[in-house]
Amino acid sequence: MVKRRLLRMADATQLVVVLIVLVLPIAWTFLSAFKPRTEVAAIPPRLFFTPTLDNFIELFSRNDFLHNTLNSLIVAGGSTLLGLVLGVPAAFAIAWHRMSWPATATLFARMAPGTLFLLPWLMMFSKINLVGGYLVLILTHAVITLPIVIWVLLPYFDALPRELVEAAQIDGARQDQTLRLVVLPIAMPGVVVASILSFVFSWNYFLFALVLSGIETKTAIVASFNFIGEGVTNWGALMAAAVVIALPPLILTLLIQRRLVGGLAAGAVKG
Amino acid sequence: MLRTQTLPSYSDAVVSQTTEAAGVGGFTTVLAGNDFRWMAAPALLFAGAMIAFPFGYAVWLALSEVQLGSAPRFIGVGNFRRMLSDAEFWNGLYLTLLLYVVSLSFQLVIGTWLGLLLARFQTARGLVRTVMVSPFMLPPVVVGMMAIVILDPSFGIANWLLSKLGLPPALWLSNPDTVMFTIAALDTWQWTPFVALIVMGGYLSLPHDVFESAEMDGAHGWTRFRYVTLPLLGPTLITAAVLRSVDILRFFDIIYLTTQGGPGFSSTTLNILAYRRGFEFFELGYASAIMVTLSAIVFGSVLMFARLRRAAAW
Repeated sequence: MVKRRLLRMADATQLVVVLIVLVLPIAWTFLSAFKPRTEVAAIPPRLFFTPTLDNFIELFSRNDFLHNTLNSLIVAGGSTLLGLVLGVPAAFAIAWHRMSWPATATLFARMAPGTLFLLPWLMMFSKINLVGGYLVLILTHAVITLPIVIWVLLPYFDALPRELVEAAQIDGARQDQTLRLVVLPIAMPGVVVASILSFVFSWNYFLFALVLSGIETKTAIVASFNFIGEGVTNWGALMAAAVVIALPPLILTLLIQRRLVGGLAAGAVKG
Repeated sequence: MLRTQTLPSYSDAVVSQTTEAAGVGGFTTVLAGNDFRWMAAPALLFAGAMIAFPFGYAVWLALSEVQLGSAPRFIGVGNFRRMLSDAEFWNGLYLTLLLYVVSLSFQLVIGTWLGLLLARFQTARGLVRTVMVSPFMLPPVVVGMMAIVILDPSFGIANWLLSKLGLPPALWLSNPDTVMFTIAALDTWQWTPFVALIVMGGYLSLPHDVFESAEMDGAHGWTRFRYVTLPLLGPTLITAAVLRSVDILRFFDIIYLTTQGGPGFSSTTLNILAYRRGFEFFELGYASAIMVTLSAIVFGSVLMFARLRRAAAW
């Protein structure tokens, strides 16, 4: 009995240490964002200070960070929508007909380095004058969201009872009605997970917008890259930018925590 | 439960909508029946235009000499031959594999330990899970920004903590000898919780009686782990390894953000090298050759694990 309690204490101690290591850097970032400019880089570091919103004011008023954040929203939202419009019917068709090659093809998209596609994209899209616009960012980010949508939804559609779809067909439902009115309501939890994962990964993505965005369409992630060049003097704004960028993914994933890991690992299990 | 709720509403809707559409004829007959394959067509077209075509184009670029403003000229394997005699390429390959081996092994080892710990310790699960998922849901760019501030040699809190512990300060990302290990540590910090959660899920789904009979047979502690738990976790670990391999080999954001491949070339992995060659020096053909090579390495590692998984299946 005593031994068991000791073991449990040891487990608890190890876990607490791990959690501290994981939380501390994030907490330090959030703390720094609310520090007065002069204290962000103070040595010894100040744990107690008068919190201020100066860094955020600097971020949003002196820089155009609000515009950049809106750009991020447009790109992540647009590419999630496009991923769903293309991916939901595709995932259903793949599951229904037990096709294997489309899944492999989308897995390929998940594995190839983004840099590989970037040069051809740049050449393709400059030919039709799309570089720098929202459309090119939404299209390229859909290359990230589409595989996520398909892979997350496949298990949900696989689990669907075939009789349900067949019954709808016998009742005279058109195929698009079958998908919208029969299949989708049942697979809704999967659609929610797919949407959130797509949005977060599109929001987090750096490389495509780094090359393909213009001054007007620069995403928050690419814009915050500029603060780094300014060095220690602008650490406050840098940390404020980090907080603004980090909040949406952190909050959104709270909603789907239970299914998060399964969603991210989808595809690797069978592929 | 779910089915009985959805069916009535669906049939009502279908009745009203089919009567509306009754006069359309032609198109509705196409949409009837059990063949849903056309629904994959839009995604397929998109993948063709955005993935397959650019991939082919990149391979063609890799086999060409490309000067800005003029059309690419086919030169065969010239770019690949140049790669073989380029010290920057070999340096990049070495750094890519170094990061791969160091990062992946740390994440798998710590992830297994942590995953089993999580499986044993089921208190405050909600809180623990929230903390565990936070690092890998952060944009890598934010992790890079945090690293710049925390690991700054003069003003960062990391070196201040070291000095409090009586240790000498480290240069972290500014030291050519340690920069890759610092980057590996950042990726390990961010993604080990993910591996741990996969391991925990895999462990909890294992048949429980196996462990009980192993205990009865006298397998405890390390013996039990080595000869019972680890083999059973094999497929789970390989899944985690595949997912992490793909990301680590393509690692870009944090390096580009924090060091841009420096100091010197000490963190210029293949992906960074290809990016700089392509978008800073506009050597499009040569950059494509490096990217194609990197893709081949990624696919190779995935195939390797796919074979391993077949071997580890039970």
